[in-house]
Amino acid sequence: MNLYLNQIAAIVWKDFVTELKTRELLSAMFIFALLVILIFIFSINLSIVKASEVGPGILWVAFLFAGTIGLNRSFMLEKENGCLMGLMLVPADRTAIYFGKLISNLIFLSIMELFILPLFMIFFNIDLLSHLGPLLVVVFLGTLGFCALGTLLSSLSSNLKTREIMLPILLYPLLIPIIIGAVRMTGQILDGTELFDMMKWIGLTASFDIIYIGVSIMTIDHILEE
Amino acid sequence: MESLENAIEVRHLRKAFGTLKAVDGIDFELKQGEFLTVFGPNGAGKTTLIKILSGLTQPSSGTAKVAGFDVAEGHPEMRKEIGVISHSTALYADLTPLENLMFFARMHGLEQPEDKALKVIGEVGLSPRRNDRVRTFSRGMLQRLSIARAILHDPAILFLDEPFTGLDLHAANVLKEHLQRLHDSSRTILMTTHDISCGLEMCDKVALQVQGKFAFLENISDVDKDRFESMYFDAVRDNQFAMGISL
Repeated sequence: MNLYLNQIAAIVWKDFVTELKTRELLSAMFIFALLVILIFIFSINLSIVKASEVGPGILWVAFLFAGTIGLNRSFMLEKENGCLMGLMLVPADRTAIYFGKLISNLIFLSIMELFILPLFMIFFNIDLLSHLGPLLVVVFLGTLGFCALGTLLSSLSSNLKTREIMLPILLYPLLIPIIIGAVRMTGQILDGTELFDMMKWIGLTASFDIIYIGVSIMTIDHILEE
Repeated sequence: MESLENAIEVRHLRKAFGTLKAVDGIDFELKQGEFLTVFGPNGAGKTTLIKILSGLTQPSSGTAKVAGFDVAEGHPEMRKEIGVISHSTALYADLTPLENLMFFARMHGLEQPEDKALKVIGEVGLSPRRNDRVRTFSRGMLQRLSIARAILHDPAILFLDEPFTGLDLHAANVLKEHLQRLHDSSRTILMTTHDISCGLEMCDKVALQVQGKFAFLENISDVDKDRFESMYFDAVRDNQFAMGISL
């Protein structure tokens, strides 16, 4: 168990050191998410539409699109110079590789989201600070599901020539339950609803998070095999 | 590794991709400390053979035992006993040699990963460049670092897939010396190569793989090197004709 956790930690450490040196992933995700929000802010007349009604959808579109860039890059890093083959040759359970990449992706996406949320608050003139706790719970649940499935599918699509196209085509339809749950909960939180009043949505999103992680554990062995 | 009579034991091994038979009924065994060089034209299935033996791909039929483990079972313990050097370096370009090897040492569960990494970096003569990004390395340096990655966990068996590809004469000689040292330390080595002189010089056994089969397998002491060389060139020429490539 100790070795298993050490292997997961080693993968996360390696991804962090790489990102600290290249600064490719976080900057690309942040700029992309910011651009999505800017495009929407200029195309929506907020004097007609209520910001708390359109804001959640726009926020999650920004997170998803930017996150997809991150996921694509994540396994590309492993494909360069045959590094994935190197990982396959170490005496590690394949799920340790999956969890290492999942945690890296989750942390990188969460950092990007923490930078985007204040900008979203400023552009849409929405007070997020008074709902910060529940909002962070919802963002975490949505991001976890996105990363759980996204990490699995990016490992699958990394073997394809058309990986940049295939990842969103495979990922987005399967993410629908999580996206619906995350957008609905974000909207309700901005309207002042308490977290325990939306346990159905929390249950739905958390259930899909668990399902996606479970499916990944069961299939990652076959997906990583050539 | 436990003392086994055969470090590698391959029986009726086959691997097909659709109708293409990449490995077609290969049988051989290697005792602990033996060095087998496999020659063969492009597309003969040499890389596929190494991939099967290192557990990276499953055979279609037949059995292969490496360090006593059936490769089809994908046992993690088997991966402790093998080191692989392939066409690709399996090194992270934006990390330094020290960071790369520390990472792989941690993945192997080695104690004191930094000390281990520094030791093997020294062994392959890259200590002065240990803190430079791998991206800035020449092909020869990458290959030496690749060897360091492969021997980091002190494996008993090494698989080398065309390790001399892209190396200049000096780098090839340095690599040859490293391989000779590894062989002298009684590691079992299976190497594929197109370099006749290097391949024949270092090995105990030599094989010629053509269209997925071992067309020739002998102890090096029983081999007439000139005759083997001409047989190898014939196999390459015939293979090119078969593939429709004009010489």
